[in-house]
Amino acid sequence: MSEEKRPGGLTALAVINFVFSGWGFISLLGLAVFFAFIGKIPTDQMQEPQKTQFEAFQDMGVYVFVMIFVLSLISSVLLLLSGIGYLKQKKFLGRTIGNIYAVIAIVGSVFSGMMFPSELGGGFNIGSIIGLIYPILTLILLNTTFRDDLTN
Amino acid sequence: MKLKTITIGHVRLISLYWSRYAVRSGSGLVYLMIALIFGLSMAHILIMPVEQLIARQKREMGNADPQFIKKTIIDIGRPVIQFVFGQKTLEEIGQESMARQRSFRDKDGGPEDAAAGPNKDADIDPWITFLLEKRPALLSAIFMLLIFGMPFAISFLGYNQVSGDIQSHGLRYLLLRTERSSIYFGRFLGTVIFSTAVMAIIVVTITFYLGMKTRIYPAGALTLWALHGFLALSILMVPYIAVCSLISASVDSPFLSLVLAKVVIAGVLLMGLLGSIYWKPAKYLLYALPWGWQSNLLHPEPARCLLAALGCLVYAGFFLFLGYYHFERRDL
Repeated sequence: MSEEKRPGGLTALAVINFVFSGWGFISLLGLAVFFAFIGKIPTDQMQEPQKTQFEAFQDMGVYVFVMIFVLSLISSVLLLLSGIGYLKQKKFLGRTIGNIYAVIAIVGSVFSGMMFPSELGGGFNIGSIIGLIYPILTLILLNTTFRDDLTN
Repeated sequence: MKLKTITIGHVRLISLYWSRYAVRSGSGLVYLMIALIFGLSMAHILIMPVEQLIARQKREMGNADPQFIKKTIIDIGRPVIQFVFGQKTLEEIGQESMARQRSFRDKDGGPEDAAAGPNKDADIDPWITFLLEKRPALLSAIFMLLIFGMPFAISFLGYNQVSGDIQSHGLRYLLLRTERSSIYFGRFLGTVIFSTAVMAIIVVTITFYLGMKTRIYPAGALTLWALHGFLALSILMVPYIAVCSLISASVDSPFLSLVLAKVVIAGVLLMGLLGSIYWKPAKYLLYALPWGWQSNLLHPEPARCLLAALGCLVYAGFFLFLGYYHFERRDL
């Protein structure tokens, strides 16, 4: 299928991918900086809820943090690659990588929900559902609506 | 006018195809994302403090006090509803919220402190009392926010009903097989079907979550009020989609159609609200679209709810007719 016949929805999906990917990279950068300086942040001026959140973040453990960081990094890279794949209507770069992103993002959301303490928004809440919207939509659309458009 | 030539079979076929095509064309996908994220985020903002309160009570006292939680929900929901009714500005709500948080911290948030807020002016407006005390308050506050916010999002779905095909002259090929009336009304109906499906997803998700996770309200009351809210939201979208149909039929460019739809829908509200500050009668501008009375869809009196629903259909009919009148005569 030629690129001229690319449906508007696929272009929209690619643009959303790029936006979320950029957002993901910026968040990762912020998270890394925050984690690097976490020991130097004074807590005595903080109010009780912020202090509880901060302590929960400190208690989270470096392995959990690294795991979440890696999952988020992989998701952001896959979002970027699959976005390019959607625009070029590639079977592997678009459909396969897009599906892998969706599965990893869903697993990552469930993992974050289980590992994050409730003070940091962990557990199952309506925020988790918001986080699952895009991966689930991607999974559905790539395998139904846009299935025959990603064939190059 | 060739309204007599409308073929129900064609309208049905076009509407079903259009509702499925919405995601593929991009407008439906963008609307779906915006509507889901907006709807669930609004719910999250209102539900999260209640969940934190329940968790805190369970941690400190071993179990949650339902009376105290319900009073806190009323405390959270009341300013939201007052804002949508135009009784309070965002600034006033912010000041009250900060004052409440201060008193909550100072007095350690005992039940008496939380109860003092909601009761002091609960009798002022029986409508607010109905929404917060006679119906599941959290759901009422969420519906109020959705009724206020969803009209802003609907133009993302309805802006390109015919304008894109007018621009590309694609409609000329379609007109060999069907009539203009079938295309116009079929696409309008398809957009309404898609919008209703999105509303159903949002309302079902929020209601299911409230029922299963927070367990504050009885399932029957929650389901009935959710059904009412779903019908209110679905009917409310119809006149706004009709406005988009009118604009889409009048303009050759989809982008211009989107911009105009945004300007008209938001502009009527802004001009009505801001204009009334300087010149009181400007508030009647709000009645050019359902903005002025759309909250009546959640009114305690069933007659007023039905009247509001009828109003939505009358407005939709008017805009739809105007759009069709223009579409039937224009050069394609």
